[in-house]
Amino acid sequence: MLIDARVLELVRAERRDEAIGLLLPAFRRRVFGLAYSLLRNRDAAEDVTQDVFIKIWRALPHFDGRASLSTWIYAITRNASLSALRARRPQSSLSDPEAMDAADAVDPAPSADAMAERAALQRLVDQLPPKQRQVVMLFYMEQQSHEEVATMLAMPVGTVKTLLHRARATLSAAAGNVRANA
Amino acid sequence: MSTDSELDKHLHALFGGLDTGTDFEARLRAHLRTESQADAAGRALRAQHQERDRYRKEQLELTSWRRSAVRLLTLDTLGISFLLVVAVAMAWPHIGRDVVDISRQYGPYIATLLGLLIAAVPIVGMWSERTRSSIRLL
Repeated sequence: MLIDARVLELVRAERRDEAIGLLLPAFRRRVFGLAYSLLRNRDAAEDVTQDVFIKIWRALPHFDGRASLSTWIYAITRNASLSALRARRPQSSLSDPEAMDAADAVDPAPSADAMAERAALQRLVDQLPPKQRQVVMLFYMEQQSHEEVATMLAMPVGTVKTLLHRARATLSAAAGNVRANA
Repeated sequence: MSTDSELDKHLHALFGGLDTGTDFEARLRAHLRTESQADAAGRALRAQHQERDRYRKEQLELTSWRRSAVRLLTLDTLGISFLLVVAVAMAWPHIGRDVVDISRQYGPYIATLLGLLIAAVPIVGMWSERTRSSIRLL
């Protein structure tokens, strides 16, 4: 990747701050999304994202470019998120008002029906098994590719496709039931 | 949510807006500035300690070099002087009268010159040894 080479070049020239300046816009949302998919708490995910970028800044001089930058960053994010998870129990879910705020950023003035539908969908996503929920969140967060989600979660692309397929099937069926009961 | 594309649309609407807060970057940059300053201070302190250690080591080496030079000089001088005395004592009866006269006349100068040469040999040897891996002290 082009960014990998550029970052490596800046690190070798001892220009760490510039390297972080490149990494921040490229990875901020993905790191936050990955942390959020694991922690399911906005504040905790944001704290972990801060922590991850500080860790990256500290570790950049040791980055030799043997592994891809994204693999390295996602590994740091997963480890930091798991440490944060161990340090506390999950306090909130996707049904949080915070999660609703995040969703509202895409559609700033949703109608009452749309809001109800969104809340229902959030509850359904919340009920998915953890791996399926993570894959769904990351895939739809930025319309990532299967490959990118696989890299983020350190799992094979085939597994990501299977989890996504199962999650969509579950959500479709559950949404159908909700409608039928309404 | 009857079709897959509708589900996709809803899921994208649900998760597409997930992002950090507006002050995220400002907070991170402030954090990194603090880290950077602490890092620079730490590096300066480490460099100072390293330099101090290096200076002490060089000083110790220099002191031990001086001691060994003095020891060598003393031993060399004693050995060579003894050999010279023995050589002169053995050769003295066979030396011609004119050579004896010259040596009596210039004896003190020759002795001084020999003394200087004997003292200079180990010093020059040690000096050339040291300059091969020159030390620079602060």
